Amino acid sequence: MSDDTSTATLSRKDFQSDQEIRWCPGCGDYSILAAVQLLLPDLGVKPENLVFVSGIGCAARFPYYMNVYGLHGIHGRAPAIATGVALARPDLDVWVIGGDGDMFSIGGNHLIHALRRNVNLTILMFNNQIYGLTKGQYSPTSEVGKVTKSSPFGSLDTPFNPISVTLGAEATFVARTHDLDRKHMVETFRRAHDHHGAAFVEVYQNCNVFNDGAFGAITNKEHRAEMLIELHDGEPIRFGADAELGVALNRFGECEIVTVADVGVDRLLVHDEHRGDPTLAFALSRLADRPTMPTPIGVFRDVARPTYEGEVQRQLVGAADRQGPGDLEALVGSGATWTVD
Amino acid sequence: MTTTVAGPTRRLMEGSEAIALASIAAGCRFFAGYPMTPFTEVLEHFARCLPEVGGTCINAESELEAVGMTWGALATGARAATGSTGQGLSLMQESFAEISLAELPLVIFNLARNQGDYFQATRGGGHGDYRHVVLAPLDITETVELTQLAFHLADQWRNPVLVYGDYLTAHVQESVTIEPINFGSVPAKDWAVDGSRTGTGDARLLSPLGIAKVGTEPVGIEAHLRRMTAKQAEIQRRETRVETGFVDDAETVVVAFGSPARFVRAAVRELRATGERIGYVRPITLWPFPSDAVAAAADGVRTVATFELCAGQMIDDVRLAVLGRAPVVGIGGISTDGSGFGVGQLLDVERVRERILAVHRGGPDAELPALPDNERALW
Ligand code: SF4
Repeated sequence: MSDDTSTATLSRKDFQSDQEIRWCPGCGDYSILAAVQLLLPDLGVKPENLVFVSGIGCAARFPYYMNVYGLHGIHGRAPAIATGVALARPDLDVWVIGGDGDMFSIGGNHLIHALRRNVNLTILMFNNQIYGLTKGQYSPTSEVGKVTKSSPFGSLDTPFNPISVTLGAEATFVARTHDLDRKHMVETFRRAHDHHGAAFVEVYQNCNVFNDGAFGAITNKEHRAEMLIELHDGEPIRFGADAELGVALNRFGECEIVTVADVGVDRLLVHDEHRGDPTLAFALSRLADRPTMPTPIGVFRDVARPTYEGEVQRQLVGAADRQGPGDLEALVGSGATWTVD
Repeated sequence: MTTTVAGPTRRLMEGSEAIALASIAAGCRFFAGYPMTPFTEVLEHFARCLPEVGGTCINAESELEAVGMTWGALATGARAATGSTGQGLSLMQESFAEISLAELPLVIFNLARNQGDYFQATRGGGHGDYRHVVLAPLDITETVELTQLAFHLADQWRNPVLVYGDYLTAHVQESVTIEPINFGSVPAKDWAVDGSRTGTGDARLLSPLGIAKVGTEPVGIEAHLRRMTAKQAEIQRRETRVETGFVDDAETVVVAFGSPARFVRAAVRELRATGERIGYVRPITLWPFPSDAVAAAADGVRTVATFELCAGQMIDDVRLAVLGRAPVVGIGGISTDGSGFGVGQLLDVERVRERILAVHRGGPDAELPALPDNERALW
């Protein structure tokens, strides 16, 4: 077997594993898997250089279904494990797959720290607003009042808005897509992968068994024009079947939905993914409290900041410059030493 | 002044630094940890030294993240380690259990506040049927050796190895040399997620569940767990390490490990010099526990005493080993400094000698001198 895989001839099926897929029939995870497997041949990355890291949950089964290198960890810790992989081998292409439970409850801490450090990871968070693997308990993205088996009188918890949280965590790339639009997924994942540093993508994912239709009000074909606000860099933010609606800032700096005919195109907010300050991206993320109102999808933020691995390497070079190429004997001898006659 | 003598530099250094340098000598190139007394300086020495040899040390966001990062680094085939005090290791136990099942060669340092982490160290500490090899160094010289051995054994068995030290291991300074020790070869890491082989058809997956991918026969969880059990039995057979002294004609045998064993050994030697028939057993591996050596030493003695710097945990293993051959009695106890992080006044050769002599003369029911108290609390 050669040590070199040519990437030119790879196709979707080269990235499919022979493991029996254990997701429920009809689960949104299938289309996300397909989107990733469609995208990978395009990226020119050798399969053995790809590492998919996951924790626990339905989404976390993902590495088993990919014919690339994989690491199945424990609940919540995937971002930490992936950081270790990326630091030990900055040349590898590291992806993190997890759900809203994995990444926003038990693993919330690891996620925000991986983001602020800007570790070079492509992080896909499948948000189905429920715990699927354990058969339907409310999650940190479930709506207030959600009745589940562990919240029989309705959830009391204010949910996280994952886009707001990750923007607040200093993420350099933040995007949202959904499982019913393969093209949008593929393009969003491509952008996330191309980003240098931590890229976070929230994927609205239907759990047809325990939370069916959670996103139906915005992602079903017949609602999309009115309910999904596609973000395009450098363009005024417009939506609606005839682009009759738009997003503008009010006098408090908050985003609001406007009718273009009423306010004029000039008042519309022009989307700028690359703004260093995340305030506008954050304002956009607040447009929709729940996926029942017009909701922005696409790239909220894409800014350049040195990657963590790069900075670590720079310090290594710096250390070597200071004291010459390090060796053990030099290290042992670097403290106070003396000669015994 | 810098030494000009040929050969390895001998230098006075605290155990924390010796651990970092010995790890580097063993090829460790990744360390992640979170500060906690008395472990903190281990992290700081790694942070200073690892970049000099192209390695990485991360002051993580928590112990949970530290062990997670180390898990990732291990998966790429790197020699990597984490550590803390027992308190921090409590947080890491879930990962330890799964890393053991994923068969990754983790090295862990416990710079503990006392010896009350014995159960945590030797019983796995987390969920499921796993054990770590546990090495308990006596002094800094042995710390240098056992630290390097830990990396070797971890690779050899694809099983975590824990080095169990304490406040004295961390902070006592001794004159040591540090050179790579050759323990022999270890199996190639053909399981590593390291981009080294053709991917298609050969996708590697590191999972605690024993599930394989593409072209390899899935092992199945049950078979995987049974294989782990068999491996542990093999480790037990092959890796037990122990030091004994004066046990052949002993009437009293004292069992102790780690830094306190140094005090016990000194006390026993002094008592032997005055003609008292007392011996000692020092487990170097706490798991596998040197049960055979303890049993052999206990044969025909009047009393087996254990000296532990805690309420007594290893005593259970000693009793299991002795199996009624002799009464087993604990002569150590809880003794801390005012902060609770360091060792207390019990760790004094004279006091240890008094207690050994009390059971040697009076047998298992002898009254022991009262435990010395701290003068004051530092909080
Ligand atoms: S429980 Fe829900 S999320 Fe999990 S596989 Fe089934 S449908 Fe998908």
